[in-house]
Amino acid sequence: MGDYVLLFPVFFPILCAPFMPLLKKQRIREVIVLLILFVEAAAIFYLAFGVDRKVEVWRISGLLSITFANDGLSRIFSCFISAIWFLAAIFSMEYMKHENNIERFFLFYLASLGVLIGISYAANFMTMYLFYEFMTLMTVPLVLHAETHDAIAAGLKYLGYSIFGAGLGLIGFFFLCIYGNTTEFTAGGVLNPLTIVGHEGFLRVVYLGMMIGFGCKAGMYPLHAWLPTAHPVAPAPASAVLSGIITKCGVLAIIRTTYYLFGVDFISGTWVQYVILALAISTIFMGSMLAYKEKLLKKRLAYSTISQVSYVLFGVFLMTPQAFCGALLQVVAHAIAKNALFLSAGAVIYKTGHTYVNELKGIGKQMPIVMACFTIASLSLVGIPPTGGFISKWHLATGALESPAGLVLPVIGIAVLIISALLTAGYLLTIVADAYFPGKDFDYSKLEKKEPNAFMLVPLVILSAGVVAVGMFPSGLIELFSSIAGDIF
Amino acid sequence: MLGAVICYIIGRKNKTARNCTACFITVLEFAAAVFICTEGAVFRAESLFGLGLEFRSGGLRGILIVIAAFVWLMTTLFSNEYFKSYRNRNRYYFFMLLTLGATMGVFMSADFYTTLIFFEIMSFTSWVLVMHDETADAVYAGMTYLTVAIIGGLITLVGMFFLYHSAGTLNFEELSRFMASVPDRKEYYIYGIMVLVGFGAKAGAFPLHIWLPQAHPVAPAPASAILSCVLTKTGIFGVLALSTQVFFYDANWGMLILAIGTITMLLGAVLAVFSINLKRTLACSSLSQIGFILVGIGMQGLLGEHNSIASGGTILHIVNHSVIKMTLFLCAGAVYMNLHELNLNKIRGWGRDKPLLKVIFLWGLLGIGGIPLWGGYISKTLLHESIVEYIAHLTQYGHPTVLFNMIEWVFLISGGLTLAYMTKLFVAVFVEKNPYGEVKSHNAGPYMDNLSAAVLIVCAVLISVFGLMPHAVMDNIAYAARGFMNSPQPEHAVHYFAAVNLKGAVISVAIGAFVYFVIIRGFLMVSDEAGSRVYIDAWPEWANLEKRVYRPLILNVLPSIGKKAASAMNATVQVDRERIGRITDRGKKAVSAVDVSVYVDEWPKWLNIEKIVYRPVLLKILPVLGGWAAAVMNLSFEEVFKLLSRFAFRAVEIFSGLIENILLALLVGSVIAIRFFKSIFDYAMQLVLYFFFNYEDISYDGKRQFRKDAYFSRFSVDKHGEEQGARENLSISLMLFGVGVVLALIYLII
Repeated sequence: MGDYVLLFPVFFPILCAPFMPLLKKQRIREVIVLLILFVEAAAIFYLAFGVDRKVEVWRISGLLSITFANDGLSRIFSCFISAIWFLAAIFSMEYMKHENNIERFFLFYLASLGVLIGISYAANFMTMYLFYEFMTLMTVPLVLHAETHDAIAAGLKYLGYSIFGAGLGLIGFFFLCIYGNTTEFTAGGVLNPLTIVGHEGFLRVVYLGMMIGFGCKAGMYPLHAWLPTAHPVAPAPASAVLSGIITKCGVLAIIRTTYYLFGVDFISGTWVQYVILALAISTIFMGSMLAYKEKLLKKRLAYSTISQVSYVLFGVFLMTPQAFCGALLQVVAHAIAKNALFLSAGAVIYKTGHTYVNELKGIGKQMPIVMACFTIASLSLVGIPPTGGFISKWHLATGALESPAGLVLPVIGIAVLIISALLTAGYLLTIVADAYFPGKDFDYSKLEKKEPNAFMLVPLVILSAGVVAVGMFPSGLIELFSSIAGDIF
Repeated sequence: MLGAVICYIIGRKNKTARNCTACFITVLEFAAAVFICTEGAVFRAESLFGLGLEFRSGGLRGILIVIAAFVWLMTTLFSNEYFKSYRNRNRYYFFMLLTLGATMGVFMSADFYTTLIFFEIMSFTSWVLVMHDETADAVYAGMTYLTVAIIGGLITLVGMFFLYHSAGTLNFEELSRFMASVPDRKEYYIYGIMVLVGFGAKAGAFPLHIWLPQAHPVAPAPASAILSCVLTKTGIFGVLALSTQVFFYDANWGMLILAIGTITMLLGAVLAVFSINLKRTLACSSLSQIGFILVGIGMQGLLGEHNSIASGGTILHIVNHSVIKMTLFLCAGAVYMNLHELNLNKIRGWGRDKPLLKVIFLWGLLGIGGIPLWGGYISKTLLHESIVEYIAHLTQYGHPTVLFNMIEWVFLISGGLTLAYMTKLFVAVFVEKNPYGEVKSHNAGPYMDNLSAAVLIVCAVLISVFGLMPHAVMDNIAYAARGFMNSPQPEHAVHYFAAVNLKGAVISVAIGAFVYFVIIRGFLMVSDEAGSRVYIDAWPEWANLEKRVYRPLILNVLPSIGKKAASAMNATVQVDRERIGRITDRGKKAVSAVDVSVYVDEWPKWLNIEKIVYRPVLLKILPVLGGWAAAVMNLSFEEVFKLLSRFAFRAVEIFSGLIENILLALLVGSVIAIRFFKSIFDYAMQLVLYFFFNYEDISYDGKRQFRKDAYFSRFSVDKHGEEQGARENLSISLMLFGVGVVLALIYLII
């Protein structure tokens, strides 16, 4: 019975969400939303430090059931999702003041949190898929929140890509039903060695389809195009969580499929691994390159997300414990850093209305704290110590050298990692340089303090402190990730 | 113990950032702390940064730490006056102290991982120092610096990945043990070179020296002193660690470093001779001196077990260069503080009536020029000795020595050039009369306050101490560093002032005098009224020849040059003969009746690899190619998907108007889309399975038996509605549909 407590973090925000429209008073709504999120985060952290639990909620038919469990991976994802959700909510209290339909925003904001926790806690494919679809549906309203023509178009695009991607994932499921012993996530894979004899090639095609499908949410080429369209139009907190968290759910689905359904042995060293590695590597390069060319700040950050999340996928597809560990570190480091970046961008938009990078000259003098956070997060994305990005890249690259996928692709991968880091420096640090060093002819008399209030600053400062903390004290995380890696390899 | 010190400093930083005076206390405290713990201590922080950090002190590290702390102390004291009229002083102090901490981390690191981490931190914090002035030049130089630092750092990182992967460790001691057991070092050379790139770039080694002559002149003087004296040494530390720990006694590696060092040495000296900007000359001089140090490191590898002289020379030159160059940069700072100008033509003669500054600058000149009785002489003698020693070795075994004879001459010529360009500076600033009339200081009152003067005096005294008591001071320093260098005791004590050693100095001095009087006075000073100066008259053909050689590339003179030369890089303006004539004419009008000769920056523009090669490649070619590739990738699938979605979402057209309706339609449409895609896929799969795969009956779970047409049953609703798979399909679709309807309802309600 005690295991049913797992349901609480999944359904609590979902159940709370419909009441949002009733809370018309801004103050009360703020307090209640934060309270809900705080309770949620507390519950998740409590569960994360507790024992393993598993609960089957509903058995639809013989093979299909809705089951939740919290294993190591669930704990990590649920913890950082809820923590970042909470911080982004604090930020949005202030930010959303210049938007309409705030109730609706928070309704879907809460509901998507529940759904995301559902994905993290999902114990079998059916559950994960169900919540995966829900995730798309719940976050579409966040994207088209502004209800402008662009926003709606972007929302539709997002919806189309997501549904298509999830559909591809679903197809693989049917085959897994046949060739697997079960569809419960089992470390090491569920494929039945007897039944798959003679069909390996075919199953690998199916796997490739699933990777491309789930890769859609993670912004992997070829289904990445929704990301740069959807992020710039969404409100800043929404794009922050879209970019930092939702993409990570795509990664989670990929990890679950790869390591918990198909199993490492089935994929590693085969052609399909080369293909997906090549996809991930080319996405890394493409994302950075496009970001480097992009002038719209939020769109630049969106392209950056495409590139950075593919670092994670690169690590996942390398299929070595070290690289897997690096991938998870990158998940955490990027989630924190990218949220900090998007929230900084949001703060700048909120206070000055500037959306293009060339308008940001001297902004560091007006909003020093915001831009300091921006700088720290940028350093993490580039991979400069003492930030989290450095640690994750270190693990990714050292892991790459041990990979079973030969030497060529991993080495190309490392080269691309480095080129991409250089491009990242090119597209982020130039902003920083302009912001703080506007040049001698800069008109100081026009300057005014535009630092936003505590609602915006506190989450930013916490996030950037988090980036540095992950970089400075990663040992605990690394141990945790290594133990997960130990299970699945 | 050391970790505590470092943490303490980091803790102090935030406070000091807001308070300029507090930083003095910090630095003093820090210097004291460092002086206490120069003796062998080990500090490990296992959990930090994943792999753990390890610090050591003592030996070479102790020396470097003390130098760094000393330089920081002196420059901070000096900054007090220098920055009086500056903006953003808090930022300067904050980042200066951060850089201090990071530099200490580099010097004390006991494994490459630690080195790298602090190295990267240092690159970024010092970047702010370079850009501090925020002028266009400073920003330009800062971005160059940052780019070089990032590229270098990343390549080093990659090298370390490989090194770590092959050796399994990055600890200096374990690495040297590991390398001793490796017979075939080919691939390790590649890794080593990769690691070398980053450190070499920071040290200013050719061909990544480009940032140095740009960054040093534009940074505030105390910051340039730090950059030049300490930060380049962190690069040297990295190279040293590589050479003495990884590639220990390795002749091939030594040769590589020697080659780089020789080129850098000569290049820096030549650049310095051509420069007409006070700080740029000093920066190029740093470049050249770094070359000397690299030569020492290279010789050390070549000499193998007999390398005590080379290693002694290397470390002593590191020490000497730091102290001397700090003195010189601070002198330059004193000039800039008063005049806000660094162009030699503008500042000429400013120092004529300032004996203290004059003497101190002279001290620096003599020190760096390698004149006996001053510091630089000792280390240069040792380095020279080591080359001579190697030539002797080669002769002994009958190998040809031509190459090394050439290197010896390059060494001597560089030494001579050093003297030449320093004399040029000295004469220009402190001896000559300014033809344009007396230069006025910006500030009323004394040109330097007592504190700054004291700082300069201390530095100058140190130079003398090093030079006058070589055995007492220098031998001990060299001895202390021996442990790190893995070098044995020297076979015999070096007689610094023996005739043999003095000969090298005399040759250098002779070359220097020649270069100064012939080349600098002759070719690098141009008269703005033809034939008015003796130097030009004496070698008119030569001057013309020079001009003809550089004709399209030569730069020009005259009032305009003041502005132009402020940007050292941009100073070289490409002009043809006509334009020279025109500008000269204009110049004549501008300064009519004054007959003067001015310093010119004749360094040809096409030799500027940074502008010609690096920048275009980085900024133009790569982005264009890459961007093109990325754009193609980006659009390729999107177009396909647009086609697809137009087909799949036809349902949208049915509804129109309200957003809510569109959403509802979409939700329904999306469900249809899934069904649509899936059914297409199903049929395809059926065909594929049927024709290409030899499908057999499967026993599933041991419970159920699937028939041959199991696929049909699992995927098509029409034929076998009661099958398991069909129900799965239906249930999911229905569930999605339900969700869609509920969502749409919620939307409508809101």
